[in-house]
Amino acid sequence: MTHPTGSQINRDLLHPLFNTSWRFYLLVAIFGGIVLFGLATWFTQTVNGYGVTGIRWPVYWGFYVTSFVFWIGISHAGTLISAILRLVNAGWRRPVTRCAEVITAFALIIGALFPIIHLGRPWLAFWMFPYPSERLIWPNFRSPLVWDFFAINTYLTGSLLFLYLPIIPDFAIVRDKSTGLRRKIYGALALGWRGTPKQWHRLETAMQIMAIAIIPVAVSVHTIVSFDFSMAPVPTWNTTIFGPYFVAGAIFSGIAGLLIAMAVLRKFLHLEAYLHPLHFENLGKLMLVMALLWGYFVFNERLVTYYGNEPAEMSVYWRTQSGTFAPLFWTMVICNFVLPLILMGIRRFRTITGCVIASIGVVIGMWLERFLIIVPALGHKYLPYSYGIYRPTPPEIIVASSTFAAMALLYVLFAKVVPIISIWELKAGEHPSPELLPPATEEHRLGDLHL
Amino acid sequence: MDRRSFIKLTAVSGTSAALASCGNPENQFIRFLPDEDIVPGVAVWKPSICPLCAAGCGLTVRVMDADAEVTRDGQAGIKRIAAAKKLEGAPAHPVNRGGLCARGHAAIQVTYHPDRITQPLKRSGDRGTGQYEAISWEDALAEVVSRLNGVDAANPRAVAFLSRVGAGHRSALIQQFAGHFGGSPISFELFGDDVLRRANAVSFGRDQLPTVDLANARFVLSFGADFLGTWNSPVAQSAAYGDMRRGRPGIRGSFAQVEARMSQTGASADEWVPARPGTEGVLALGLAHVIMAASLQPAAAAGRAGSMVAGWGAGLSDYTPQRVEELTGVPAARVDRLARQFAELRPAVAIAGGAALAHSNGLFTAMAVNALNALVGSVDQPGGLSFTPQFNTGSALKFSPAAQPATPLQMLAADALSGAAVPQVAFVDGVNPVFTTPRAWRVREALEKVPYIVSFGSFLDETSALADIILPDHSFLESWVEAVPESGVAAAVASVAAPVMRPLYATRATPDVLLEIGRGLQRPLGAAWQTFDEMLGASFATLPSTTPDVDAWTDAQTKGLWSGVLPAGLARQAQAVADGATYAFEAPRFDGDAKQFPFHFLPYPSVPFGDGSTAHLPWLQEMPDPLTSAMWSSWVEINPTTAANMGISDGDVLEVASGHGSVRAGAVISPGIAPDVIAMPMGQGHTMFTRYATGRGANPAEILAPVTEAATGALAWAATRVRVTRIGPPDGSLVLFAGGIREHLEQEHR
Amino acid sequence: MARWGMAADLDRCNGCGGCVVACHAENNISTVGPEQASRGRAKHWIRVERYWEGDFPDVKLKFRPTMCQQCGNAPCEPVCPTYASHHTEDGLNAQVYNRCIGTRYCANACPYNARFFDFFNPSWEKPLQLQLNPDVSLREVGVMEKCTFCVQRIRGTQTTAKTEGREIRDGEIQPACVQACSTRALVFGDLEDRESEVSRLSRSPRGSKLLEDVGTRPAVTYLARLTEEA
Repeated sequence: MTHPTGSQINRDLLHPLFNTSWRFYLLVAIFGGIVLFGLATWFTQTVNGYGVTGIRWPVYWGFYVTSFVFWIGISHAGTLISAILRLVNAGWRRPVTRCAEVITAFALIIGALFPIIHLGRPWLAFWMFPYPSERLIWPNFRSPLVWDFFAINTYLTGSLLFLYLPIIPDFAIVRDKSTGLRRKIYGALALGWRGTPKQWHRLETAMQIMAIAIIPVAVSVHTIVSFDFSMAPVPTWNTTIFGPYFVAGAIFSGIAGLLIAMAVLRKFLHLEAYLHPLHFENLGKLMLVMALLWGYFVFNERLVTYYGNEPAEMSVYWRTQSGTFAPLFWTMVICNFVLPLILMGIRRFRTITGCVIASIGVVIGMWLERFLIIVPALGHKYLPYSYGIYRPTPPEIIVASSTFAAMALLYVLFAKVVPIISIWELKAGEHPSPELLPPATEEHRLGDLHL
Repeated sequence: MDRRSFIKLTAVSGTSAALASCGNPENQFIRFLPDEDIVPGVAVWKPSICPLCAAGCGLTVRVMDADAEVTRDGQAGIKRIAAAKKLEGAPAHPVNRGGLCARGHAAIQVTYHPDRITQPLKRSGDRGTGQYEAISWEDALAEVVSRLNGVDAANPRAVAFLSRVGAGHRSALIQQFAGHFGGSPISFELFGDDVLRRANAVSFGRDQLPTVDLANARFVLSFGADFLGTWNSPVAQSAAYGDMRRGRPGIRGSFAQVEARMSQTGASADEWVPARPGTEGVLALGLAHVIMAASLQPAAAAGRAGSMVAGWGAGLSDYTPQRVEELTGVPAARVDRLARQFAELRPAVAIAGGAALAHSNGLFTAMAVNALNALVGSVDQPGGLSFTPQFNTGSALKFSPAAQPATPLQMLAADALSGAAVPQVAFVDGVNPVFTTPRAWRVREALEKVPYIVSFGSFLDETSALADIILPDHSFLESWVEAVPESGVAAAVASVAAPVMRPLYATRATPDVLLEIGRGLQRPLGAAWQTFDEMLGASFATLPSTTPDVDAWTDAQTKGLWSGVLPAGLARQAQAVADGATYAFEAPRFDGDAKQFPFHFLPYPSVPFGDGSTAHLPWLQEMPDPLTSAMWSSWVEINPTTAANMGISDGDVLEVASGHGSVRAGAVISPGIAPDVIAMPMGQGHTMFTRYATGRGANPAEILAPVTEAATGALAWAATRVRVTRIGPPDGSLVLFAGGIREHLEQEHR
Repeated sequence: MARWGMAADLDRCNGCGGCVVACHAENNISTVGPEQASRGRAKHWIRVERYWEGDFPDVKLKFRPTMCQQCGNAPCEPVCPTYASHHTEDGLNAQVYNRCIGTRYCANACPYNARFFDFFNPSWEKPLQLQLNPDVSLREVGVMEKCTFCVQRIRGTQTTAKTEGREIRDGEIQPACVQACSTRALVFGDLEDRESEVSRLSRSPRGSKLLEDVGTRPAVTYLARLTEEA
């Protein structure tokens, strides 16, 4: 295991910022093209009418709300994981935190778009915002959708701050190494960072406060997202387990998302020296824990429904367990439980490749989980005369899939302008105290797992 | 200046100011000519009559202002008119008593249909292609008159007039018009009730459909009559049905339905009795046997109606419950129980209609049910059958009675095809025989032989597309309408209503056109009236006024109807038919070998479309069928066990083939149909009938066999056998509104 | 203040569907056509549900006219972020089309699936638009619509009664479905008035609420189809 030195760190991590290869343009073109296509599709949906989707009576939520919950879930990777790892002072977190925090910020932004994308009249989305209108009409504070609005905004603001604070010293490094316009821009972003002990102290304090504050916010966000469902008298929705179930699922899918992002960065930005198999293995262990937790929740949710034997719930239950949605349900179980258990549970498979395979499985499985919570229940709600089957149409599929490209695009652009691994934290090793300023020559050492 | 004219002036000046700077000047000009006496935003209600079936329900039409593109004096433009907004059941009308069925509500779309024919048309392409060019009314009428002047006066079949069944003034005028050329109007209804009328004439001396006093009945036994959905006077019968169930404190009438495929009416029954098709009469006589054997009937019973049934005097010994079970498939114990219920829960009434009478032995079945009613004394009694006194419009108008009976449509077709008698001119009013007759009759080919066809249709359909000239009628809301209900009320009723709104287009009321043609003939019709409303006035003037100091005509226009006691001479006379014959069960004859064609085929009138004449109304197309919830589609009903044996799942495309053709539609697996019966609703399968009905679904009439009821010659539309083949998986043509068909989960999963 | 309610006597209802078309006519509900209908977009504010029971030959069928139940404790109301779905003083679940942004949350929350979404801008092929009822607003694409108990008729009658200085008579207000019903299966009126027919019927031992255990406190009472006297 090599441990790059300070100048090596600077060279490696600042390389993408100062050198642009054709690959960057190609990626931007591909992802940007997909995103534009998705935007155009959404535009035609808005112009032609919502009917171009597969949404129908009585399944009024489908791909878009599934994607909303999915992306909000993914967003839990970053900030929450990074905050926990910071608080427990896990030294191995250093190369990982920023990749993770970036995921949070972007996944939240994308996730927050879906409630607007899915509106029947998206041009009136601002009616959900509490603004003092001349008609004195406020949003309905009893509506979980309004809670969502506040929860997501709070989390987004917190996450952006949490992301931004530790970038400040890195912005300063870039500023110091660049000239011209770039220097001005990074200078502005660096907020006058000089690296004085006082500044380091304040940064550390702020980071401590943010790390503590962001955890309850993150937990509450996904709990509130779960309230969108559990507050409605829809069979299998109205259950108390949804809060923790959603939070666990969110962290689970978040870790998977983070692992995929790390593997891609490692490969394309040649960060083999910084993102070690150990990082993957540690996160893989975390994913294993979450897979078990997820399995526990699903088992609970299914078993309690089954024993409750409430007719309307049983109708939905059988529909997912052995009916129309059974293939999706069992795929989900394999992706979310069997696959991670095998790949992450057996040391031999807990490699980078293993992690990536398991993570892709989990991402698919967690998307299916949200779909299976939303769609079967809405299609089998109490009165059998009104049962209906939802089938997504190309516009929805295009819009929903293009958000993956949007995520990739944002990531690529971000990695182009900000060092994707925190330079100063890496240099600081496991001695982040402001008194022990990271000497540029200090050899970086990977910390032990402090979890 | 009063308030009304002030509001009008404000509205006119307001709109003129608003429109002064835009639009086409002609449109504006025509718009400001005051046309209707209506206050913007204020609704008025006017009486009218629903034209969509023979029941003659009274309407109250809500009329308000609306901006419409109309034709006035040959000029088209946008104008603020008084427009009909909604049809509602007239609360005081004795037939429907405020209720109105789905079809009645949708009737307004006839007036506002986007594909209405807006002016006279002359054929410019081949027959059936629907290519027409505009022609003026003057030229069109001159052409028709010259054609009629050229017909052979000595040939009573030179002019064929195809029209609807009816006893109203319009029908009387058509009768007179056709009679002028020596013939009688030819009416054909696929689901007509000729067999029942004939049976009532034989049993009770009344050539008429019965009025059933359901409201006072305690037990109702219906043999195939869909009396709550499509048969006879459904709204009147539904109103009475509601009272039968819950209108009497402490008494709830019971009701059993005998039929092989559960109809909307059967769905409301307490007991549904599937009997083998064509054996319903046996069941009726089986009941009579049990009642007589146990002496449950009142002292003076049956009389004439019973004496017409063979073996009646001997207590119907051929119809023991065991024998009935063998023939009908209804268990003997059930026959016995039903008989006891029928005899003990008095007043009890039996009704026959629909598919039960659409067999080769239909008249026997109707006679048997009549005898059953007579046996328990349910004729002309509260809670039983009666016959509505019917205003004889012909005698009020002093028309001469029909010279000779009408030629049946199948005979007209056969003679035209063979060349034995080809009409020189044919008129088509309100019927679509090309669509509603069995393909085997070849009515289309026969009509193509007719050199000149005149249609009064408002829409291009399969029959009017064959016409050489189309003289479009007003819609019912734009013209004088009238109805003389045959049944559904206790007292005599004659409804009449003035136009509710001015015509939207350059159409003319058909009765007025007939009178005008009649005047123009070399040998004039000689009617005393210039217009139809004059004729109506003359007719209603013969009736006694029911309101003091107001004459009957004025009174009827205000109320929308006349109702009371008919003076002698103005009522249709009872006519006893004494042919001396007695009726016994003969096995029904079915077309098609039972091995090759294992299923009975049952086409049935669809609740929204009847025989298909209302398939062009989008509200009815989108209304879910009461039993299947299907919209915009055709389907084939099949028993679940049969379907399972044949590997058929819901929605699979099936081909139903008889010896006369085949049709395709999606499968609806329905628990309410016998395993050896296949049912299909009529109504869809139009090849030409406006944008909403053309090319949608399949027409079951196409595969019907030309079997007729032996004694009356009426089409036995339930006497075809078919085979069913699964063609493939669902093709998306079957649209259902509903998801599940059962309410409780355990039935689905265990 | 009145509490508007309905009683639906299932012993009278014969499933004819007259109410369905009457509702379309009164409330400017657009037809969506076969293609959209096959994709589950047909809008029927009132529908006659039918359920099969048993198997051939011992088969029975149940009809149940189902519309918005105008719940006293309506799940659709709290979930709407913009108050488009809200409770009126006289107990109606009002839907303010202009305030609706189309989250469709209300429809998901509704246990009766009584709410219908406008997937496209409703249109009427000329001159079918002449039939439109000027008392009922047209909906645009992206909003939720549902049975209103014909609120336009309620408000109209209230205004008339007020101008004439009198109380509303029992049975004076009839929603279109009630007016259309041939069998008089549907009865509408004020539940607060103990003497009204609807209130009398709602207290019938045959009466029950649809999905009572969901706790929505509906204003519609269904009277069971019982063969024994009740």
